[in-house]
Amino acid sequence: MTDLKTLVEALIFVSQEPVTMERLQAVLEGVPAADIQSAVDGLVADTGAAGRGIHVIRVGGGWLFATKPDHDREVRKLLQIERKNRLSSAGLETLAAIAYRQPVTQSEVSAIRGVDSTGALKTLLEKKLIKIVGRKKAPGNPLVYRTSDEFLLYLGLNSLDELPSEEEIAKILEEEKAVDA
Amino acid sequence: MPENAAAIPPVEETALPPSAETPDGYQVRLDVFEGPLDLLLFLIRKKKIDIHDIPIAAITRDYLGYLERKTEINLDREAEFLFIAALLIYIKSQMLLPRETDLAEGEDPRRVLVDRLVEYERIKAACSLLREREDVQILQWKRDFIPPLHGESELEPVELSLFDLAESFFLLMKRRAAENTRTIRGRDVSVEVKMKELVGLLQERHMIDFLEYFEAHASLEEALIAFFCILELVKSRVAVAVQDELFRTIRVWLRKDARRTAAHD
Repeated sequence: MTDLKTLVEALIFVSQEPVTMERLQAVLEGVPAADIQSAVDGLVADTGAAGRGIHVIRVGGGWLFATKPDHDREVRKLLQIERKNRLSSAGLETLAAIAYRQPVTQSEVSAIRGVDSTGALKTLLEKKLIKIVGRKKAPGNPLVYRTSDEFLLYLGLNSLDELPSEEEIAKILEEEKAVDA
Repeated sequence: MPENAAAIPPVEETALPPSAETPDGYQVRLDVFEGPLDLLLFLIRKKKIDIHDIPIAAITRDYLGYLERKTEINLDREAEFLFIAALLIYIKSQMLLPRETDLAEGEDPRRVLVDRLVEYERIKAACSLLREREDVQILQWKRDFIPPLHGESELEPVELSLFDLAESFFLLMKRRAAENTRTIRGRDVSVEVKMKELVGLLQERHMIDFLEYFEAHASLEEALIAFFCILELVKSRVAVAVQDELFRTIRVWLRKDARRTAAHD
Protein backbone atom coordinates (compact mmCIF):
# COMPACT_ATOMS: atom_id res chain seq x y z
CA MET A 1 0.00 0.00 0.00
CA THR A 2 1.22 3.44 -0.86
CA ASP A 3 2.24 5.67 1.98
CA LEU A 4 -0.75 7.92 2.58
CA LYS A 5 1.43 10.85 3.52
CA THR A 6 3.39 10.88 0.26
CA LEU A 7 0.16 10.41 -1.65
CA VAL A 8 -1.40 13.43 0.01
CA GLU A 9 1.78 15.39 -0.64
CA ALA A 10 1.54 14.63 -4.35
CA LEU A 11 -2.10 15.70 -4.47
CA ILE A 12 -1.39 18.98 -2.73
CA PHE A 13 1.64 19.60 -4.90
CA VAL A 14 -0.20 19.45 -8.21
CA SER A 15 -3.03 21.66 -7.08
CA GLN A 16 -2.97 25.39 -7.64
CA GLU A 17 -5.77 26.02 -5.22
CA PRO A 18 -6.10 24.81 -1.65
CA VAL A 19 -6.96 21.12 -1.52
CA THR A 20 -9.80 20.65 0.93
CA MET A 21 -10.49 17.67 3.11
CA GLU A 22 -13.54 16.92 0.95
CA ARG A 23 -11.40 16.81 -2.19
CA LEU A 24 -8.89 14.50 -0.55
CA GLN A 25 -11.63 12.20 0.64
CA ALA A 26 -13.18 12.12 -2.82
CA VAL A 27 -9.86 11.11 -4.37
CA LEU A 28 -8.82 8.70 -1.64
CA GLU A 29 -12.00 6.69 -1.70
CA GLY A 30 -12.56 4.57 1.34
CA VAL A 31 -9.71 5.99 3.38
CA PRO A 32 -11.06 7.16 6.75
CA ALA A 33 -11.02 10.91 7.27
CA ALA A 34 -9.05 10.53 10.46
CA ASP A 35 -6.24 8.76 8.58
CA ILE A 36 -6.15 11.47 5.91
CA GLN A 37 -6.12 14.11 8.61
CA SER A 38 -3.18 12.55 10.39
CA ALA A 39 -1.33 12.14 7.07
CA VAL A 40 -1.85 15.85 6.34
CA ASP A 41 -0.83 16.80 9.87
CA GLY A 42 2.32 14.74 9.46
CA LEU A 43 3.03 16.41 6.13
CA VAL A 44 2.54 19.90 7.58
CA ALA A 45 4.91 19.03 10.42
CA ASP A 46 7.50 17.43 8.09
CA THR A 47 7.61 20.27 5.59
CA GLY A 48 7.46 22.87 8.33
CA ALA A 49 10.67 21.54 9.84
CA ALA A 50 14.02 23.03 8.90
CA GLY A 51 15.74 21.74 5.81
CA ARG A 52 12.90 22.41 3.38
CA GLY A 53 12.34 25.43 1.14
CA ILE A 54 8.65 24.87 0.78
CA HIS A 55 6.02 23.88 3.29
CA VAL A 56 2.41 22.83 3.31
CA ILE A 57 0.22 25.50 4.88
CA ARG A 58 -3.41 25.54 5.84
CA VAL A 59 -5.16 28.33 3.98
CA GLY A 60 -8.40 29.04 2.16
CA GLY A 61 -10.04 26.07 3.85
CA GLY A 62 -7.52 23.59 2.51
CA TRP A 63 -3.82 22.87 2.12
CA LEU A 64 -1.37 24.34 -0.28
CA PHE A 65 2.35 24.37 -0.90
CA ALA A 66 4.08 27.69 -0.36
CA THR A 67 7.66 28.83 -0.25
CA LYS A 68 9.06 29.62 3.16
CA PRO A 69 9.23 33.31 4.07
CA ASP A 70 13.03 33.30 4.32
CA HIS A 71 13.36 32.78 0.60
CA ASP A 72 11.21 35.69 -0.46
CA ARG A 73 14.03 37.83 -1.78
CA GLU A 74 15.47 35.22 -4.11
CA VAL A 75 12.07 34.01 -5.26
CA ARG A 76 11.17 37.54 -6.28
CA LYS A 77 14.48 37.83 -8.07
CA LEU A 78 13.72 34.70 -10.07
CA LEU A 79 10.26 35.95 -10.93
CA GLN A 80 11.65 39.41 -11.65
CA ILE A 81 9.34 41.08 -9.18
CA GLU A 82 11.28 43.96 -7.76
CA ARG A 83 9.22 44.97 -4.80
CA LYS A 84 6.60 43.49 -2.62
CA ASN A 85 3.21 44.46 -3.85
CA ARG A 86 1.50 45.36 -0.64
CA LEU A 87 -1.90 46.91 -0.92
CA SER A 88 -2.05 50.68 -0.55
CA SER A 89 -3.62 51.90 2.66
CA ALA A 90 -6.64 53.04 0.67
CA GLY A 91 -6.85 49.58 -0.88
CA LEU A 92 -6.55 47.77 2.42
CA GLU A 93 -9.09 50.04 4.10
CA THR A 94 -11.55 49.44 1.29
CA LEU A 95 -10.91 45.71 1.44
CA ALA A 96 -11.47 45.67 5.21
CA ALA A 97 -14.72 47.62 4.85
CA ILE A 98 -15.94 45.08 2.30
CA ALA A 99 -14.74 42.08 4.30
CA TYR A 100 -16.63 43.15 7.41
CA ARG A 101 -19.73 44.58 5.79
CA GLN A 102 -20.29 42.30 2.83
CA PRO A 103 -22.31 42.18 0.74
CA VAL A 104 -21.86 45.90 0.11
CA THR A 105 -22.22 48.46 -2.64
CA GLN A 106 -19.69 51.07 -3.71
CA SER A 107 -21.61 53.87 -2.00
CA GLU A 108 -21.82 51.92 1.25
CA VAL A 109 -18.07 51.39 1.24
CA SER A 110 -17.51 55.05 0.42
CA ALA A 111 -19.78 56.06 3.29
CA ILE A 112 -17.86 53.92 5.77
CA ARG A 113 -14.56 55.43 4.67
CA GLY A 114 -15.85 58.96 4.10
CA VAL A 115 -13.99 58.86 0.81
CA ASP A 116 -15.02 57.97 -2.71
CA SER A 117 -13.87 54.38 -3.17
CA THR A 118 -14.59 53.76 -6.84
CA GLY A 119 -10.92 53.63 -7.78
CA ALA A 120 -9.94 51.39 -4.88
CA LEU A 121 -12.77 48.99 -5.72
CA LYS A 122 -11.61 48.78 -9.29
CA THR A 123 -8.07 47.94 -8.22
CA LEU A 124 -9.32 45.26 -5.81
CA LEU A 125 -11.45 43.77 -8.59
CA GLU A 126 -8.43 43.67 -10.88
CA LYS A 127 -6.46 41.95 -8.17
CA LYS A 128 -9.39 39.52 -7.85
CA LEU A 129 -9.53 40.11 -4.11
CA ILE A 130 -13.20 41.05 -4.40
CA LYS A 131 -15.93 39.99 -6.77
CA ILE A 132 -19.26 41.29 -7.99
CA VAL A 133 -22.06 39.07 -6.76
CA GLY A 134 -25.04 40.87 -8.20
CA ARG A 135 -27.07 44.03 -8.01
CA LYS A 136 -28.91 45.49 -5.10
CA LYS A 137 -32.63 46.02 -5.43
CA ALA A 138 -32.34 49.71 -4.69
CA PRO A 139 -32.47 52.90 -6.75
CA GLY A 140 -29.91 52.65 -9.54
CA ASN A 141 -29.47 48.91 -8.95
CA PRO A 142 -25.90 49.31 -7.70
CA LEU A 143 -23.43 46.45 -7.97
CA VAL A 144 -22.89 44.37 -4.87
CA TYR A 145 -19.41 43.27 -3.85
CA ARG A 146 -18.01 40.45 -1.76
CA THR A 147 -14.53 39.24 -0.97
CA SER A 148 -13.28 36.36 -3.12
CA ASP A 149 -11.55 33.07 -2.39
CA GLU A 150 -8.33 34.77 -3.47
CA PHE A 151 -8.89 37.22 -0.63
CA LEU A 152 -8.71 34.37 1.88
CA LEU A 153 -5.56 33.06 0.24
CA TYR A 154 -4.03 36.50 0.11
CA LEU A 155 -4.35 37.02 3.84
CA GLY A 156 -3.79 33.39 4.80
CA LEU A 157 -7.32 32.92 6.12
CA ASN A 158 -9.34 29.73 5.98
CA SER A 159 -12.72 31.40 6.13
CA LEU A 160 -14.26 34.77 6.85
CA ASP A 161 -14.72 33.62 10.44
CA GLU A 162 -10.98 34.02 10.82
CA LEU A 163 -11.09 37.76 10.19
CA PRO A 164 -9.91 39.68 13.26
CA SER A 165 -12.71 39.46 15.81
CA GLU A 166 -14.48 42.25 17.70
CA GLU A 167 -12.35 41.43 20.72
CA GLU A 168 -9.10 41.62 18.79
CA ILE A 169 -10.14 44.93 17.28
CA ALA A 170 -11.17 46.29 20.68
CA LYS A 171 -7.79 45.23 22.03
CA ILE A 172 -5.96 47.09 19.28
CA LEU A 173 -8.03 50.20 19.94
CA GLU A 174 -7.24 50.07 23.64
CA GLU A 175 -3.56 49.67 22.92
CA GLU A 176 -3.64 52.63 20.56
CA LYS A 177 -5.38 54.75 23.17
CA ALA A 178 -2.86 53.68 25.78
CA VAL A 179 -0.06 54.85 23.47
CA ASP A 180 -1.78 58.20 22.91
CA ALA A 181 -2.42 58.78 26.61
CA MET B 1 -11.17 59.55 -9.46
CA PRO B 2 -7.79 60.04 -7.89
CA GLU B 3 -7.75 58.69 -4.43
CA ASN B 4 -4.13 58.38 -3.65
CA ALA B 5 -2.75 60.53 -0.95
CA ALA B 6 -0.23 62.16 -3.23
CA ALA B 7 -3.00 64.10 -4.97
CA ILE B 8 -2.80 66.91 -2.45
CA PRO B 9 0.40 68.85 -1.99
CA PRO B 10 1.79 69.05 1.50
CA VAL B 11 0.36 71.83 3.62
CA GLU B 12 3.53 72.34 5.55
CA GLU B 13 6.83 71.14 4.20
CA THR B 14 8.22 70.56 7.65
CA ALA B 15 5.34 68.61 9.10
CA LEU B 16 6.14 65.16 7.87
CA PRO B 17 4.83 63.04 10.71
CA PRO B 18 1.23 63.87 11.54
CA SER B 19 2.15 64.67 15.09
CA ALA B 20 4.79 67.36 14.64
CA GLU B 21 3.70 70.05 17.06
CA THR B 22 4.19 73.77 16.83
CA PRO B 23 3.21 76.58 19.21
CA ASP B 24 -0.16 77.09 17.56
CA GLY B 25 -1.11 73.45 17.65
CA TYR B 26 -0.26 70.58 15.37
CA GLN B 27 0.83 70.87 11.85
CA VAL B 28 -0.60 68.18 9.70
CA ARG B 29 -0.32 67.27 6.11
CA LEU B 30 -3.77 66.43 4.90
CA ASP B 31 -2.38 63.91 2.49
CA VAL B 32 -1.29 61.60 5.27
CA PHE B 33 -4.95 61.02 6.02
CA GLU B 34 -7.07 58.56 4.17
CA GLY B 35 -9.98 60.97 4.36
CA PRO B 36 -11.98 63.33 6.54
CA LEU B 37 -12.93 60.65 9.06
CA ASP B 38 -9.28 59.76 9.47
CA LEU B 39 -8.46 63.43 10.15
CA LEU B 40 -11.31 63.74 12.64
CA LEU B 41 -10.22 60.62 14.49
CA PHE B 42 -6.71 61.98 14.67
CA LEU B 43 -7.93 65.27 16.17
CA ILE B 44 -10.14 63.47 18.67
CA ARG B 45 -7.30 61.27 19.82
CA LYS B 46 -4.84 64.10 19.97
CA LYS B 47 -7.14 66.00 22.31
CA LYS B 48 -7.89 62.84 24.27
CA ILE B 49 -11.56 63.36 23.74
CA ASP B 50 -14.13 60.68 24.41
CA ILE B 51 -15.52 59.76 21.04
CA HIS B 52 -19.03 59.55 22.51
CA ASP B 53 -18.85 63.06 23.92
CA ILE B 54 -17.22 65.22 21.29
CA PRO B 55 -17.06 68.97 21.92
CA ILE B 56 -18.28 69.83 18.44
CA ALA B 57 -17.32 73.52 18.44
CA ALA B 58 -13.70 72.85 19.41
CA ILE B 59 -13.29 69.96 17.00
CA THR B 60 -14.90 71.90 14.17
CA ARG B 61 -12.49 74.77 14.77
CA ASP B 62 -9.49 72.44 14.63
CA TYR B 63 -10.85 70.63 11.65
CA LEU B 64 -11.46 73.79 9.63
CA GLY B 65 -8.01 74.97 10.67
CA TYR B 66 -6.46 72.13 8.73
CA LEU B 67 -8.58 72.71 5.69
CA GLU B 68 -7.65 76.40 5.60
CA ARG B 69 -3.95 75.72 5.55
CA LYS B 70 -4.16 74.14 2.18
CA THR B 71 -2.72 76.17 -0.62
CA GLU B 72 -4.11 74.29 -3.55
CA ILE B 73 -7.46 72.78 -4.14
CA ASN B 74 -8.19 69.27 -5.26
CA LEU B 75 -11.91 69.22 -5.80
CA ASP B 76 -12.36 65.48 -5.51
CA ARG B 77 -10.84 65.26 -2.11
CA GLU B 78 -11.88 68.72 -1.03
CA ALA B 79 -15.54 67.88 -1.37
CA GLU B 80 -15.19 64.94 0.97
CA PHE B 81 -13.44 67.02 3.61
CA LEU B 82 -15.94 69.85 3.22
CA PHE B 83 -18.86 67.47 3.52
CA ILE B 84 -17.75 66.43 6.97
CA ALA B 85 -17.11 70.08 7.86
CA ALA B 86 -20.68 70.87 6.88
CA LEU B 87 -21.88 67.92 8.93
CA LEU B 88 -19.99 69.21 11.97
CA ILE B 89 -21.52 72.66 11.62
CA TYR B 90 -24.96 71.18 11.13
CA ILE B 91 -24.60 69.12 14.27
CA LYS B 92 -23.49 72.18 16.22
CA SER B 93 -26.50 74.13 14.99
CA GLN B 94 -28.78 71.28 16.02
CA MET B 95 -27.28 71.33 19.47
CA LEU B 96 -27.77 75.06 19.81
CA LEU B 97 -31.42 74.99 18.86
CA PRO B 98 -33.67 75.54 21.83
CA ARG B 99 -36.05 72.66 22.32
CA GLU B 100 -39.28 72.36 24.20
CA THR B 101 -38.44 68.99 25.61
CA ASP B 102 -35.04 67.58 26.35
CA LEU B 103 -33.68 65.09 23.88
CA ALA B 104 -34.15 61.47 24.84
CA GLU B 105 -31.14 59.19 25.44
CA GLY B 106 -29.82 58.18 21.99
CA GLU B 107 -31.20 61.27 20.32
CA ASP B 108 -27.97 63.24 20.52
CA PRO B 109 -27.48 65.15 17.23
CA ARG B 110 -23.87 63.95 17.33
CA ARG B 111 -25.06 60.40 17.00
CA VAL B 112 -24.81 60.21 13.18
CA LEU B 113 -21.21 61.29 13.27
CA VAL B 114 -20.25 59.19 16.28
CA ASP B 115 -21.65 56.05 14.71
CA ARG B 116 -19.63 56.66 11.58
CA LEU B 117 -16.48 57.43 13.51
CA VAL B 118 -16.82 54.35 15.67
CA GLU B 119 -17.31 52.16 12.65
CA TYR B 120 -14.43 53.77 10.80
CA GLU B 121 -12.19 53.44 13.83
CA ARG B 122 -12.90 49.72 13.95
CA ILE B 123 -12.19 49.28 10.27
CA LYS B 124 -8.88 51.12 10.75
CA ALA B 125 -7.97 48.86 13.65
CA ALA B 126 -8.88 45.79 11.62
CA CYS B 127 -6.64 47.15 8.86
CA SER B 128 -3.61 47.10 11.09
CA LEU B 129 -4.30 43.46 11.93
CA LEU B 130 -4.89 42.57 8.30
CA ARG B 131 -1.70 44.34 7.33
CA GLU B 132 0.22 42.09 9.72
CA ARG B 133 -1.32 39.07 8.04
CA GLU B 134 -0.51 40.47 4.62
CA ASP B 135 3.10 41.01 5.60
CA VAL B 136 3.43 37.37 6.65
CA GLN B 137 1.61 35.96 3.63
CA ILE B 138 3.27 38.10 1.03
CA LEU B 139 6.59 36.41 1.76
CA GLN B 140 5.20 32.96 1.09
CA TRP B 141 4.81 32.38 -2.59
CA LYS B 142 2.02 30.09 -3.57
CA ARG B 143 1.86 28.63 -7.01
CA ASP B 144 -1.48 30.25 -7.58
CA PHE B 145 0.05 33.70 -7.29
CA ILE B 146 3.18 33.13 -9.28
CA PRO B 147 2.87 35.12 -12.46
CA PRO B 148 3.79 33.41 -15.71
CA LEU B 149 7.40 34.14 -16.59
CA HIS B 150 6.42 35.50 -19.96
CA GLY B 151 3.78 37.94 -18.80
CA GLU B 152 0.47 38.30 -20.59
CA SER B 153 -0.95 34.98 -21.65
CA GLU B 154 -4.60 34.16 -21.17
CA LEU B 155 -4.27 32.47 -24.53
CA GLU B 156 -2.05 29.47 -24.76
CA PRO B 157 0.82 30.72 -26.91
CA VAL B 158 2.59 28.38 -29.26
CA GLU B 159 6.30 28.74 -29.72
CA LEU B 160 7.07 28.67 -33.39
CA SER B 161 9.72 26.82 -35.26
CA LEU B 162 11.96 28.50 -37.79
CA PHE B 163 9.91 26.89 -40.53
CA ASP B 164 6.75 28.56 -39.35
CA LEU B 165 8.54 31.87 -39.41
CA ALA B 166 9.95 31.25 -42.84
CA GLU B 167 6.56 30.27 -44.18
CA SER B 168 5.01 33.47 -42.92
CA PHE B 169 7.83 35.40 -44.40
CA PHE B 170 7.55 33.92 -47.87
CA LEU B 171 3.83 34.47 -47.81
CA LEU B 172 4.47 38.06 -47.03
CA MET B 173 7.05 38.41 -49.74
CA LYS B 174 4.70 36.91 -52.26
CA ARG B 175 2.06 39.40 -51.29
CA ARG B 176 4.56 42.18 -51.55
CA ALA B 177 5.84 41.04 -54.95
CA ALA B 178 2.32 40.98 -56.30
CA GLU B 179 1.57 44.55 -55.41
CA ASN B 180 4.96 46.06 -56.02
CA THR B 181 6.30 46.01 -59.53
CA ARG B 182 8.58 49.01 -59.33
CA THR B 183 12.26 48.50 -58.81
CA ILE B 184 13.52 50.27 -55.75
CA ARG B 185 17.14 50.71 -55.06
CA GLY B 186 17.61 49.63 -51.51
CA ARG B 187 19.86 51.19 -48.98
CA ASP B 188 22.92 49.20 -48.17
CA VAL B 189 22.14 47.51 -44.92
CA SER B 190 24.42 45.12 -43.17
CA VAL B 191 23.21 42.27 -41.00
CA GLU B 192 25.26 43.69 -38.19
CA VAL B 193 23.59 47.09 -38.28
CA LYS B 194 20.16 45.58 -38.67
CA MET B 195 20.76 43.23 -35.77
CA LYS B 196 21.63 46.12 -33.49
CA GLU B 197 18.59 48.05 -34.63
CA LEU B 198 16.34 45.06 -34.04
CA VAL B 199 17.67 44.26 -30.59
CA GLY B 200 17.33 47.91 -29.67
CA LEU B 201 13.73 47.89 -30.86
CA LEU B 202 12.97 44.71 -28.94
CA GLN B 203 14.43 46.15 -25.80
CA GLU B 204 12.54 49.36 -26.19
CA ARG B 205 9.18 47.87 -27.06
CA HIS B 206 9.62 44.48 -25.39
CA MET B 207 7.64 42.95 -28.19
CA ILE B 208 7.19 43.47 -31.89
CA ASP B 209 4.58 42.28 -34.29
CA PHE B 210 6.32 40.14 -36.90
CA LEU B 211 4.19 41.15 -39.87
CA GLU B 212 3.97 44.79 -38.92
CA TYR B 213 7.70 44.94 -38.61
CA PHE B 214 8.31 43.63 -42.11
CA GLU B 215 5.61 45.69 -43.71
CA ALA B 216 7.41 48.74 -42.41
CA HIS B 217 10.48 48.01 -44.49
CA ALA B 218 10.82 49.90 -47.72
CA SER B 219 12.86 47.41 -49.67
CA LEU B 220 12.78 43.69 -50.08
CA GLU B 221 16.46 43.52 -49.37
CA GLU B 222 16.16 45.25 -46.05
CA ALA B 223 13.19 43.15 -45.03
CA LEU B 224 15.14 40.05 -45.97
CA ILE B 225 18.06 41.09 -43.81
CA ALA B 226 15.73 41.84 -40.93
CA PHE B 227 14.23 38.40 -41.34
CA PHE B 228 17.65 36.78 -41.17
CA CYS B 229 18.33 38.72 -38.01
CA ILE B 230 15.18 37.41 -36.39
CA LEU B 231 15.97 33.86 -37.43
CA GLU B 232 19.41 34.26 -35.95
CA LEU B 233 18.02 35.66 -32.69
CA VAL B 234 15.51 32.84 -32.37
CA LYS B 235 18.10 30.23 -33.23
CA SER B 236 20.55 31.52 -30.66
CA ARG B 237 17.65 31.59 -28.18
CA VAL B 238 17.95 35.31 -27.59
CA ALA B 239 14.43 35.97 -28.85
CA VAL B 240 11.20 34.00 -28.86
CA ALA B 241 8.62 34.00 -31.61
CA VAL B 242 5.13 33.26 -30.43
CA GLN B 243 1.75 32.89 -32.04
CA ASP B 244 -1.28 33.05 -29.76
CA GLU B 245 -3.26 30.76 -31.98
CA LEU B 246 -3.26 29.61 -35.54
CA PHE B 247 -3.56 32.40 -38.12
CA ARG B 248 -3.03 35.07 -35.52
CA THR B 249 -0.16 37.48 -35.72
CA ILE B 250 3.29 36.35 -34.72
CA ARG B 251 4.97 38.27 -31.97
CA VAL B 252 8.66 38.37 -31.21
CA TRP B 253 10.27 39.27 -27.93
CA LEU B 254 13.58 38.88 -26.19
CA ARG B 255 13.93 36.07 -23.74
CA LYS B 256 14.09 37.56 -20.28
CA ASP B 257 17.43 36.00 -19.44
CA ALA B 258 18.79 37.32 -22.72
CA ARG B 259 17.66 40.86 -22.18
CA ARG B 260 20.62 41.84 -20.10
CA THR B 261 23.25 40.07 -22.18
CA ALA B 262 21.79 41.35 -25.41
CA ALA B 263 22.19 44.86 -24.12
CA HIS B 264 25.92 44.37 -23.93
CA ASP B 265 26.34 42.90 -27.39
